[in-house]
Amino acid sequence: MNILKTFDIQDVVLKHTLPVRLFHWCLVLGFLPAGITGIVLFLRPFSSEGMHLAMQIHILGAGLLTLACICFFIFQPGRVVSFWREIFSWTKNDIDWMKVSGGYPQKILFGKEIPVPPMRKINSGQKLMGIFVFFAGIVVILTGCILYVALPLVPKEIAWYTDKIHLIVGMCLLVAVCGGHIPLGIYNWKEFICMFGDGTIKIKDIVKHNPLWIEQDIEKIK
Amino acid sequence: MKYNYVEKAVQITRREFIGLAGVAAAALWTGAYAVTDLVEDRNKYIKMRMAGLYKDDEKQAVRQSHNNKSLMQMYGKLAGKPMSPLAEELFHTQYVNRMIS
Amino acid sequence: MQKSYQNHELHNIIQIDPKVCKGCDSCKSFCPADAIEGSYGATHSINDERCLQCGQCLVNCPFGSIQDTVDVVDDVIEKLQDGKSTVVAMVAPAVRVALGEAFGMEPGTLVTQKMYGALKKAGFKIMDVNFAADNTIMEEGTELVEKIQTYILNQPNEHNLGPLPQFTSCCPAWVRYVELYHPNLREHLSSAKSPQGMAGPVVKIYGAQEIWNVAPEDIYCVGIYPCTAKKFEASRPEFTAAADYWKKRGHSANYQDTDVVLTTRDLARLLKKLSIDIQTVEPADENDNPLAEYTGAGTIFGATGGVMEAALRTAYFVTTGQELSTLDYEPVRGLQQVKTANVPLRLKNNGPEIVLKVAVVHGTKNVEPLLKEVEQGISPYHFIEVMNCPGGCVNGGGQPINPMGTSWVGKFKAIFPWS
Repeated sequence: MNILKTFDIQDVVLKHTLPVRLFHWCLVLGFLPAGITGIVLFLRPFSSEGMHLAMQIHILGAGLLTLACICFFIFQPGRVVSFWREIFSWTKNDIDWMKVSGGYPQKILFGKEIPVPPMRKINSGQKLMGIFVFFAGIVVILTGCILYVALPLVPKEIAWYTDKIHLIVGMCLLVAVCGGHIPLGIYNWKEFICMFGDGTIKIKDIVKHNPLWIEQDIEKIK
Repeated sequence: MKYNYVEKAVQITRREFIGLAGVAAAALWTGAYAVTDLVEDRNKYIKMRMAGLYKDDEKQAVRQSHNNKSLMQMYGKLAGKPMSPLAEELFHTQYVNRMIS
Repeated sequence: MQKSYQNHELHNIIQIDPKVCKGCDSCKSFCPADAIEGSYGATHSINDERCLQCGQCLVNCPFGSIQDTVDVVDDVIEKLQDGKSTVVAMVAPAVRVALGEAFGMEPGTLVTQKMYGALKKAGFKIMDVNFAADNTIMEEGTELVEKIQTYILNQPNEHNLGPLPQFTSCCPAWVRYVELYHPNLREHLSSAKSPQGMAGPVVKIYGAQEIWNVAPEDIYCVGIYPCTAKKFEASRPEFTAAADYWKKRGHSANYQDTDVVLTTRDLARLLKKLSIDIQTVEPADENDNPLAEYTGAGTIFGATGGVMEAALRTAYFVTTGQELSTLDYEPVRGLQQVKTANVPLRLKNNGPEIVLKVAVVHGTKNVEPLLKEVEQGISPYHFIEVMNCPGGCVNGGGQPINPMGTSWVGKFKAIFPWS
């Protein structure tokens, strides 16, 4: 590849800084328990003790999620802005990427590798996911706050709709994360290790995923 | 050093920052306003029902219980006067100790 | 055997449906008796022994999971159509400002004439409980005045009077609260029955003899109240004053003063079953019905402060010989949880001036500090009105459930179900 000509085979880039990785850990430890106990609270399969425990875990997970989001927004506004800009920058490359689903079905189902339009740090599918998670996350946190703190205070009609919205948006988030984000993360194992490990990844491993980012957005440390 | 490349720093212009802060503040304030409005109105239906009764009160030609002619007639024919022996029998009661130990 | 109920009393009236309950803990915020069990997230249930049957949990549950399990609508329809019973509807003040809500009207719309028309069309005879409310004022007001004469003016009296301060006794949930949790204070409750308690004897004695000319045992009294606790109250075994009266005069039948109670919601259901619509029914005025004659004082019984205001209008007249110059007694009106007022009374015939100290409480939890004062003998009040439901009976557990609000009358604060 052309790009590799300017880089060494040993070159390593820091793709995710420590605050970002910590935030991601909080999302994992906050959202996943909250989402799973959310389903439990919806289906109500357990006895009183079980349901109470599920609720306790739900609140703890939700609390961690909320706190992490607030802290990240306050202490890492640069990352928030960068994320926002990326998820809302769409070009013809992105449309074309979506048309071939990034080449994933072809690779996974048929073992065929097809050419894919070049991406920056976030690919088009991740951009869609990012938009969804950003707004759905805010909705689920706000409705959750009302349900936890102010249920006897808000008009019953509002309480009823808040509950329904919390349920539906929460379920959609859970499906998107568990059915899309997590499997694809595991499939791209080196990216998985990068986010859960020390944030570094060899440039030769992301040449196919993020060529434009490598070309334009990274620099050598002095 | 484990890595030798990093992402270039994110540039946010002052204008962009103020714009962002402004939009965030406006959204939060609108939301808070809407919610507190709804919460403050949570007793409105009670106040409306109470107002209906006070309106009924104002409409009446007679507004004191001791001037209810029909009631006075009933007393005349039945119990005599309030707290008479028959009134005690029909209109007064005693209460029960229900304390659960 | 239930410990906190007498024989034959209705109980377990309010129940949580375990299939719908989400364990959100909302109902616990509204229960004045801490009668709801179940931890946060787990299905909740009502402890019948502690429950006042007030229905506040029912009207405030955002998911409609709480039910009133006493359903006599079909029994009433049967009686209405059997051709031999005289079915008398005893309608409470608060019904007429909320019944319209079940038919699409705004809360507070006064539908008195349409209500009468609908009841008549269904086959009811009518007794307006506002008449009984006036009756209650006469009895309770006289009792209060006699206590003032005895305890404040040191005059002799012939009646066996309870001590001051006097608490109102028209709210059956409040009465049950005293009997359950402060039975040592029950002498402070006015000995006067509630309007429901008085209405039954009035209908089955005075109504039977003077108004409708029917045998008392053929009268079927249907109370129509904004209140689920009235179902409990009507079943109190001592509420048989009419039957006891007639047994002394040669009759032998046994019956309760009020046979059954319908809530406002039940009445709406009954009317809909009979295809009667409040919006379109022919109104009736009942101007020739002596038992439907009431005063403004009687009708405000349904609002918090209303009983107090009605009592003051009469107590003022009886003690001073003059009517209150402004009949709207503002200090006892409104949604503040505890309202107090000092009412100066210049006694008639050049008597001394005394200051009657009164308090009005709604939401039974709010009465605890006042009860402590009474227990310690330091209560500054002479007369205290207590209504269990926030706002008074207009917001009772039997009213149409209005989704546009809740009963939370207290300060705006975060309520953590589990910390």
